[in-house]
Parts: sequence; structure tokens; C-alpha cells
Amino acid sequence: MAESLSQRGAFAVVPCFNEGAVVRETVLGLLAEGVQVVVVDDGSERPAAEICGDLPVHLLRHRVNLGQGAALQTGIDYALRAGAEFVIHFDADGQHDATALREILTLLRSGTVDVVLGSRFLDPVHTRAVPRAKRVALRGGIAVSWLFSGLWLTDTHNGLRGFTRAAAQRVRLTEDGFGHATEILDEIRRAGVRYCEVPVLVRYSDYSRSKGQRLSNGLNILIDLVLRRLIP
Amino acid sequence: MTKIQFLLIAGVIGLGALASALVGTRLVYRLALMGLLVLGVFLVSFPDVTTEVARVLGVGRGTDLLLYLGIVAGGFAFLLLYARVRRVERKVTLLTRELALREARGTEEAL
Repeated sequence: MAESLSQRGAFAVVPCFNEGAVVRETVLGLLAEGVQVVVVDDGSERPAAEICGDLPVHLLRHRVNLGQGAALQTGIDYALRAGAEFVIHFDADGQHDATALREILTLLRSGTVDVVLGSRFLDPVHTRAVPRAKRVALRGGIAVSWLFSGLWLTDTHNGLRGFTRAAAQRVRLTEDGFGHATEILDEIRRAGVRYCEVPVLVRYSDYSRSKGQRLSNGLNILIDLVLRRLIP
Repeated sequence: MTKIQFLLIAGVIGLGALASALVGTRLVYRLALMGLLVLGVFLVSFPDVTTEVARVLGVGRGTDLLLYLGIVAGGFAFLLLYARVRRVERKVTLLTRELALREARGTEEAL
């Protein structure tokens, strides 16, 4: 219990859009780790409040759908106002393992880094769990992110990230859609915060596969990023 | 004056009337709009002028010159509109976020 109490300053932000029952599993996993959970319902047709309204979580809802980046930023703003010491980004679709928070929070508490990024390509076992087509697309994402941010990371589109309060305040997301993954890296470089990667397993269920970004969507993200860089 | 010229002049004036209703009250915009209107009517009335200008610029026909200029203008128009859509999107995001933060339900209110 002492362990879980010490995690109260950590807020996990879970953006969700039409996710359904899987959100509940994700939230339960996080609550078991003793962190505070901020569910940001990005205008789902069936409000997330119906799915996890009975759980001790912070619930926010966008009246209209804005995109994952916008939902994350809303949750971050909320967590910071609520006095969060650490802010974790956590995907709702059940692909992350909540126990990974322990290592991330230990690293953040150690004071050696400001941002911890999850990577599924640091451990060969985790890498093999990624479907081949996904691997190719993600390698593309790595190259694009490097072009835009100058950060060479092993996995740029991993939804699991940890921030200290100061880092969460400095890294701001203006890309409402999925372009935020690259934008975050750009912001990390601009803010000059210390970062590191930790190996995390990403589980590919049929559900998360169907919800995940498609290759064609990846191209859209790229075009968006280029256009938005040209037109602020 | 040919029939097409009547049609085109009517079209230019119609566009000008609609645009003047949308463009607002800033003098610069109004003057620019008036200028465009006069230019449009002038070019339709004296189509040889565009051909002469085209020749000077090294383009074969006046029609081609107008096409090229039209493409460039269209490109700018697209970008300006895109920038405006971006600004509007940003405002919607801020409003929606603020509303979500105000209506947030804390942990103690769980059912």
C-alpha cells in the first residue's frame, strides 16, 4: 500500500475515442499500479462515462472529436492543474502493460531524465511481437521523425511516454491528430529536456490492430506535418 | 461585343457584388476588389490586350497567360484558406478543451 500511495503524484492520461469496453481493462490495470487515471473521452459516440464512470478516475469529455493529440493535451492540462508530479501518456486500446509504469516512474524519480519514451525495438523479444508490415511503417516513422526533430530514436510512434511535471509543462501539443507523435519529439528537442528510451512490450490484439493507424494514414500524417510546418 | 463578352462581364460584376458583401469594410480590401472588377471588365472588353501582354512575356496566347496566372492565384487562395481553417481549428480545440476541463469529473465523484 505504501508503494501505491507513493504513486499518487503520477497521472496516467488515457485518450480514447470509441474504444468500448477495452478502456475499462486498461483503466483497471493502471489503477492497480496506484497511479491516478485521467480518461479523456474525445467525443466518443458512447460516452466513456458509461464504460468507466463507476471507477475512481478523472473523467473529461470533448464535446466534439478533435483527435488523439488534442485529447492528450487536454488530459495533460488537467493533470498539471491537479498538481501532477509526473504525467504518463497511455494508450486506451490495451496495447500497453501498466506494469511498465514502475520502471518509467523510477527513472523519472531518479532525476536523471525528464522524459522517458517507450520503445518496442530495444528488446528483440518485443520487436518480434510487432507485425512485419507495422515494423516497416514504423521504420518510416523513425526516419520522418529524425528529419523533423533531429532525434534518432528506435521507436517514435509509441504511445507510452513519461514526463516530469516540468517537462510536461514545456512540451505542448498543437497537432490535434496523430501528427503529435512526431511533434512531441520536436518539442523535446526544442525544450532541451533530457530523455531516454525504455523497452516496452506492445501487445497486438485483433482489436488494437483494427484501431491502429494504417499505412495510408501514415502518409497523411506526413503530409500534414509538412503542410503545417510551412503554414503555422 | 460578342455574346460571351456579355456573359463574362455579367459574371465578373456578379462575383464582385458577392465579394463586396463578404470582404468587409476595410478600405484596402474594397479598393483591391474594385481594381480587380475594373480589370476584369476591361480584359473581357479588349481581349487583344491580354494577347499582347502575353507576347511581351513570351507566352503564345492571352488565354494561356490567364491560365498560368489563374493557377498561381488559385494556389495562393488555397493556402490562405488552409491557414484560416487551421486558425479556426485551433480555436475550436481551445474552446473544446476549456469546456472539458470545466466539466471534468474528479475521482471522488465516481458512482
